[in-house]
Amino acid sequence: MERTRGRSLLLTGSLLILLMAAPVQAYSIFGDEVETFLKEKVAFGGFIENTTGLAIGPDGDRRHFNTSNRFVMNRLTIQPEFNVDFHQSAKFFISWRFVKEPRYNMEARSRRRSVSPAAAAQPLESTFYDEDSLKPWEAVLDLKPTDLLHLRLGRQFISWGETDGIRILDVINPQDTTFSPPFAPNLFSLDETRIPTWGVRAFYTVQPVTNSIMEFFALPGFEEAKQRVDDVLGSNDTADARVRYGRWSSHPETRMPFGCLFRAPVGGTCAPIVTRQHPDAGDNWKLGTRITHNFGALNLGLGYIWGFNPQGADQVFKFRSPGAGPVVNLRLINDRASLFAGQFNYTVAQIAGIPFNTAIRGELLFYPDKLYNVSEFPGRSCTTGALTGFKAGPSCKYRNQIVEKHTIRYALGFDRSVLIPFLQEDPWRAFGLSFQLIQSIIPDHEDGIRVFSTADKLDKVTTTLTFRVSTGYLGDTILPDIFLAYDPAGYWAANPAVSYVPPWNEKIKLTLTAVVLGGHNKFSSIGLFSEKDSIFLKMRYQF
Amino acid sequence: MNSLVRRYWSLQSKFTIQGLFVGLTLLLFQPLQIRAAEPDLKPGDTIGPHNWQRVQGMVGENFLNRVKAGHTIQIKEPKINRPLKEYVEATEKYSGQVRFGPNGELLNYIAGQPFPKIDPKDPQIGQKLAWNFFWRWLGDDYKTGGAVEGGKILRTAIEKGGSERRADLVSYVIFPHTRYTLNPKPAIPGYEHIDFMQLRIDSYPRDSSGTTTLEIRYSDPKRPDDLYLYIPSIRRIRRATTTLRCQTLAPSEFNLDDLNSFNGKITDFNYKFLGEKKILANLTQEKFPFNRKPGDYLPLDEKWHVVDTYVLEVTPKDPDYCYPRKILHLNKVTFDTHWTLMWDKKGDYYKEQFGFFTPVKLADGQEAWSVGTVVIVNVQNGRSTLVTANRAYNQGYPPSLWSLATLQQIMRGGSIE
Repeated sequence: MERTRGRSLLLTGSLLILLMAAPVQAYSIFGDEVETFLKEKVAFGGFIENTTGLAIGPDGDRRHFNTSNRFVMNRLTIQPEFNVDFHQSAKFFISWRFVKEPRYNMEARSRRRSVSPAAAAQPLESTFYDEDSLKPWEAVLDLKPTDLLHLRLGRQFISWGETDGIRILDVINPQDTTFSPPFAPNLFSLDETRIPTWGVRAFYTVQPVTNSIMEFFALPGFEEAKQRVDDVLGSNDTADARVRYGRWSSHPETRMPFGCLFRAPVGGTCAPIVTRQHPDAGDNWKLGTRITHNFGALNLGLGYIWGFNPQGADQVFKFRSPGAGPVVNLRLINDRASLFAGQFNYTVAQIAGIPFNTAIRGELLFYPDKLYNVSEFPGRSCTTGALTGFKAGPSCKYRNQIVEKHTIRYALGFDRSVLIPFLQEDPWRAFGLSFQLIQSIIPDHEDGIRVFSTADKLDKVTTTLTFRVSTGYLGDTILPDIFLAYDPAGYWAANPAVSYVPPWNEKIKLTLTAVVLGGHNKFSSIGLFSEKDSIFLKMRYQF
Repeated sequence: MNSLVRRYWSLQSKFTIQGLFVGLTLLLFQPLQIRAAEPDLKPGDTIGPHNWQRVQGMVGENFLNRVKAGHTIQIKEPKINRPLKEYVEATEKYSGQVRFGPNGELLNYIAGQPFPKIDPKDPQIGQKLAWNFFWRWLGDDYKTGGAVEGGKILRTAIEKGGSERRADLVSYVIFPHTRYTLNPKPAIPGYEHIDFMQLRIDSYPRDSSGTTTLEIRYSDPKRPDDLYLYIPSIRRIRRATTTLRCQTLAPSEFNLDDLNSFNGKITDFNYKFLGEKKILANLTQEKFPFNRKPGDYLPLDEKWHVVDTYVLEVTPKDPDYCYPRKILHLNKVTFDTHWTLMWDKKGDYYKEQFGFFTPVKLADGQEAWSVGTVVIVNVQNGRSTLVTANRAYNQGYPPSLWSLATLQQIMRGGSIE
């Protein structure tokens, strides 16, 4: 039934698009005024895209993510969009997003087998990723009561920050990473992983010439909780080392070991039972404010966000009690967070008379009293102090395994265009270079702080470097773009892409891209995804 | 090709019978009269492969080659635009006080034409012409694309083989301290240090729609332009440098300084007056965009005027600049450019650009003029770009339109008005 419903909705959506895209004359039955309004005030656009992914690398390197046919993605996306210019001071934008991506049979069977307890196993839906709701993806009403005041009401995206491909301040909309490989901005941009949110956003321009702008947003949290089948914690954990997990999840054996640390003694299998602490009524609001101003060539912004765990990796789990046998009870904590934000951009033409020609940008997030899971390394008995013989154990200092630490995250980016004539058929077609340094710092760091989901040890300073190069050839019909990420701890990711835009049709774009991830082990950083190397072909038509 | 270009566009002095010495003296100290092939073209004349010599030197070399190869053009009645009343008044009121600063910048400039008296013997005539070009009348503000059906700039990139790609955009420009019509005049308080601000919004195709640039040109000769870029796929504003002004704005053949024929910072270049010249131009374009064969940039039905111009050679102070030589043909009345010719570092002919114009009515009934379709041709790679960019002047936009708040409000395919 669900399957039929989904198909019906997709079909309905497609028909709607076709009808909406029909010549304006079709509306003439409504009269000249309606026709004129549609012609002059309504704009239609959007895209249809198909993405096919193929796992690469020998089977032996893909112990946990092998699929029967090696396909890792075949996703069809249709996104119709309408603009309506009601008035100079009132505009409306609405879009829908319809997505269909099947689950592969091998994956489904594996998942069914892996559901714990087995008796509760339910057949999985045949679809991996479906968006078939007629609820708008985006629907915003823009109001401009005065030249200096602008309001945006509705389901929308709000993006703060200056980084490329990485989120630090861009935490106002939640992100859904279920359906995309990590570190792959050439495959899916951040905008395709953000979840739109209902709310209001306001700008008040205090002084236009200096870009002194006050901004405010309020998101009441109307969105219903969306739990994907791949998100059900614990549902994938078996002793079967060949479990085929969600396609873009981390290695199975790295997913839940931290919960096992709380079992005393730790050993054998472990079955964490996780409950979620939901926010109290009215407590799911997100509020924020920001002011920006230009000091000469420096554009600076300071802001504040009041909300929840800004990113998935910021969630912590409270140890409740060891259960019977292998069971350990945990509770996912929704932490109310106060985030202090700063961002800037600045251009430097010369340094000491030497041409530099670089735009510098940065953003900073101060997260006071951020919660972390913490434990003892090596594991020891909190009663006797004797070593348990295990690599880790529950923290004796923080009995609920949670510690609060101020945290600073920042990014520094450098962008410049350079001419490399010997690599170009048009010597004046520039290469865009972008370098980023991203760091997370816990000034009052304590040993034992770990990421819950992977038991990955968090150092006082964690660093990621990214580098991106892009250009165009033959009148920008061939567009290469390479995104590289590197963690000095020994991990890396590469996301090269080349797109083709035929010289005879600006609406078509074909992109061949790869996502290659690696590291010295699979328990940390980008190494978590080291068996997920894939290539993708995107075919996109804009209408 | 290089030799041809040099031959047809090189300077030819007026030698007299008084001898070589006098001639050389004149060459050094006299204004140079660039001689077009046949200035006695009459309305109704048709030029084609049989008589292309009649327009030799009056059009770009590449265009001339197309005429030789079969393209025909027709001459129409002359059209002379009249300067606007308010601009003339401002010129009379303020031009007497304008001086050059140590870096070639203007001092005491308020509004109007900075140097209305053009004396070919003036050693600073080149620089003065450049400033007259920069401060030519362009309204107090304008929307480019505002005067054609659909309200968009239509850009077509044509490959050597004839394939075409279209892009639509709109552009909003304000001159905040040289205002002639709209209050406050002549300057918006707080904006006296800004020469112009431009907002450019892509609207087609979908993936680029919503991409918006905000460019700010400062009067301070040492301060580079500001350039902010809103990228809809990441929904963020990114800052870009404007110092690499030669980079191709692909898929078009324009670069940052090719916009409006010459968009460089005036103080970054040297100028040489090469003389006066009659050239072919079109001040009354009839169709927007003009009729042409698919895959070719040549206008089919448009006729051409004979127009008097000043010829100005622009050479960069930066030796690494893309055009070591650029020649502008400035309309003697409006100071708009009709033909712009560019050479590369090897001295080879590189690009040629011509712009058509069209009369437009202002709100007070005065007739002004707007650029219509502009064509740039890269003669080395065979690609060309056409931009139909009619302007709607004096729209009374608030200066807050050119702020980062506007960039944050752009939706794909949406407008900002």
